[in-house]
Amino acid sequence: MSAYTPSMPPKRRRASLFGRVPRTAAYVFVLVLTACTAGPASSDDGPLGVLRVPADHATIQAAVDAAAPGDLVLVAPGVYTENVLVETTDVTIRGADRNGVVIDGEGVRSSGIVAVADGVRIENLTVRRVMHYGVLVTGMHDDNGPSAHGVDGYERLDPAMFPPVERFAVRNVTASNNGLYGIYAFDARHGIIADSYASGSADSGIYVGQCRHCDILVTGNVAERNAVGFENANASDSVVVTGNRFSHNRVGMTLLSNYQEAFTPQRANIVRGNVIASNTSADSPAQAEGGFGVGIGISGGRDNLLRDNLVAGNPRAGVLLANTEDLAASGNRIEGAWSADGVAPNGVDIANISADRAPAQGNCIGGSPSTLPKHLRAGCGTKKPSATAVAPGRLPDVEAPPGMSFLQVPEPPPQPGMVDVEVIPARLPNTVTDAAETPEGVPDAGLLAERSGVS
Amino acid sequence: MSWVSRREVLFGTGGAIMGVAATVSGATAAGALGDETSYRHGPARSDREGAAASSGGVEPAGMTQAGVDRPGTPQRFGLLAVLDLPGATDRRALEPRLAALGATILSLTGESSDVLPDGAGDLTVTVGLGPRLVGAIDPGLAGATALPRFAGDDSIEAHRIGGDLLLALHGSDPVALPLALRELRATLDGTPLRWSEACFRGPGVGTVTRNPFGFHDGIAVPRDSEKLAREVWLPPEEDGGDPRVAGGTICVLRRLVLDTERFAHLEPSDQEAVMGRRRSDGAPLSGGTMFDDVDLRAKTPTGEYLVPARSHARAAHPSFTGSGLMLRRGYAFATPTTGDDPGETGLFFIAFQRELDTFVRTQHRLDETDALMQFARPTASATFLVLPGFDENQPLGSTLYE
Repeated sequence: MSAYTPSMPPKRRRASLFGRVPRTAAYVFVLVLTACTAGPASSDDGPLGVLRVPADHATIQAAVDAAAPGDLVLVAPGVYTENVLVETTDVTIRGADRNGVVIDGEGVRSSGIVAVADGVRIENLTVRRVMHYGVLVTGMHDDNGPSAHGVDGYERLDPAMFPPVERFAVRNVTASNNGLYGIYAFDARHGIIADSYASGSADSGIYVGQCRHCDILVTGNVAERNAVGFENANASDSVVVTGNRFSHNRVGMTLLSNYQEAFTPQRANIVRGNVIASNTSADSPAQAEGGFGVGIGISGGRDNLLRDNLVAGNPRAGVLLANTEDLAASGNRIEGAWSADGVAPNGVDIANISADRAPAQGNCIGGSPSTLPKHLRAGCGTKKPSATAVAPGRLPDVEAPPGMSFLQVPEPPPQPGMVDVEVIPARLPNTVTDAAETPEGVPDAGLLAERSGVS
Repeated sequence: MSWVSRREVLFGTGGAIMGVAATVSGATAAGALGDETSYRHGPARSDREGAAASSGGVEPAGMTQAGVDRPGTPQRFGLLAVLDLPGATDRRALEPRLAALGATILSLTGESSDVLPDGAGDLTVTVGLGPRLVGAIDPGLAGATALPRFAGDDSIEAHRIGGDLLLALHGSDPVALPLALRELRATLDGTPLRWSEACFRGPGVGTVTRNPFGFHDGIAVPRDSEKLAREVWLPPEEDGGDPRVAGGTICVLRRLVLDTERFAHLEPSDQEAVMGRRRSDGAPLSGGTMFDDVDLRAKTPTGEYLVPARSHARAAHPSFTGSGLMLRRGYAFATPTTGDDPGETGLFFIAFQRELDTFVRTQHRLDETDALMQFARPTASATFLVLPGFDENQPLGSTLYE
């Protein structure tokens, strides 16, 4: 079994100067093609502001580099073996056919599309088989290229040096068989991840991390066959996660505080109207810490509202409360539905496994879920510990199946695409979640099931 | 106990794609080790303190005490002694005793000494003050807080927890150490020992040597003077520090009995999985060489960490706790096997840091996630304020009352 090590994606134009990441033969080939064919951009063949790939530009990168703010890079069906880096504001990259426009990392390249500029849209295409992240939107980048983490070895990165990217949209993107993350927003704000699909990620299918007053909407997505479906670490305030299907992963979703990134603790998300069920996937990479059979994990997360979600069929626990080091899971409000026809019950609906040094406190639980320990409901809205915790060994015992290589995870079924692909979109709005509506009521177990590859 | 950890049942570690980190090593070993001894705010030092060799003399005087970062390569032998100082919460009792200790240290390590007729060699004496006495000066002073109890601490004998005074003697000549300790104790009016114990360490360069499990230890530590100033030394007043303790540091001392027998019965690959490093050369299981950073994100295609989820190298990584990096200078110990008593083999965990919390947070995490803790049993636990440096004109401990 060969191992791979995350390293940063090459910053394309500086690659020759810095050259830290070895380029593959395929990558060099792309550069040569670019040099031969990417003459002055011609817009004669289409509406003003539309750059066509490969008609006008042989590669997506060449078109992106030629694009001005407000332009649309429209990609025709085909397989593109590129790492694309977007450094121009208000550029849209759109596939003409979601299932037919494929950026393929071939199991060797680092990433699919990385956006480090404000106002970037990535729409209606597929990104697969990259080593690290399929789509990454991040403000954390420098001359060595973009990255997405808060720690460099034993040194802590200063978030003030990397202001967040503002305004982004990832829509109708299929991200499959990617080594770490499918769709990833890190150090980014005022964005939307919608109507997308992510599978086969060894970390998480969709990830939102390290932001305050994030104003990020995650809606209408399917994440399945990932180690973790949706993950949030240190993304706080105005993150709204609604109407998604996070089923058939090893862990459905997590809300985490994490000292490895800035802005601990994680707090104040709204998670509403999602289906988080049957997270027992064997067709997925292992969750590296052994996580399996868990619906929602809250580790050191605070003041989150979990409402109207269907959380069922997770054999270890529907919701787990735990500490992150000295940070307690506190002030969370958890209510929803814990069973549905045709879905097995959770092993236990809500369990508290916090360590004594940071006991869960002030969490409020509505309805009548089963809990471990039994009196978990005590302490709602107070500073008192939410009853004693149970040792992790007291949870229902569930054997995690061996992990599957992220490259071997079954391909997703065709996904519904956009219709009016020729329309040049308006500038992305400054705010997102203010106008977002969250649905009333618990969704049906079949929410978005038609997009799932799991029968 | 069941080794289902909290993290195991839950989640990804959260976050952090390792992009850049994978490639940068902790400077190069040689370069870093060559600059271990200076203190940014300290006075110029004599030539001999910089010597990493284990036979040359080590400067006892300066802004900081010897035995923390100098010599750069810890001497092979040690003698640790912990005492109580009844009545020493009174300045009039403590101040002259500390001053006398300092004078004796200068005398012992000077050019000629009746106690050590062949000379002091590389003898160092490091003096630390326990939380009871520091707290009596000012409860808000660094070093005034005792260690909390960690997993397994409940079985530590009472006299092995805490203490008022640490005398840590180190040198290449193990015979000289008890002679020097005797002389030091003579200045304390025969105060009885709580405990004392000899210790030793294998050969190595810098802080790295093999521990009783046969694995390299002391790899990830602050080395250059800038990092030492940031992570280890209590800062001077101009950097927001308290001048009473500037140039001091917080020492944590833990005696850990190690189950080397059970560990030895593990398959070599299982041993490495517990440590997170290769036994042969100390390289992290994520690849590279000994001084390369542990790549916490590196995974196999099937999703397993290359540096395993509960390995010591992962559990002890400071990025998880948001704390600083300790300067570790551990020593081994071994007690005799007699009759049915198999004796004890283990490690004196000795770490220096600017904040006690650096150790506390890390040890809590180890208790929760570290597979190595299954092989360790604490039998002594204490913290001491290693006093600021001293010289002939500025007696040991004199800054405490400024």
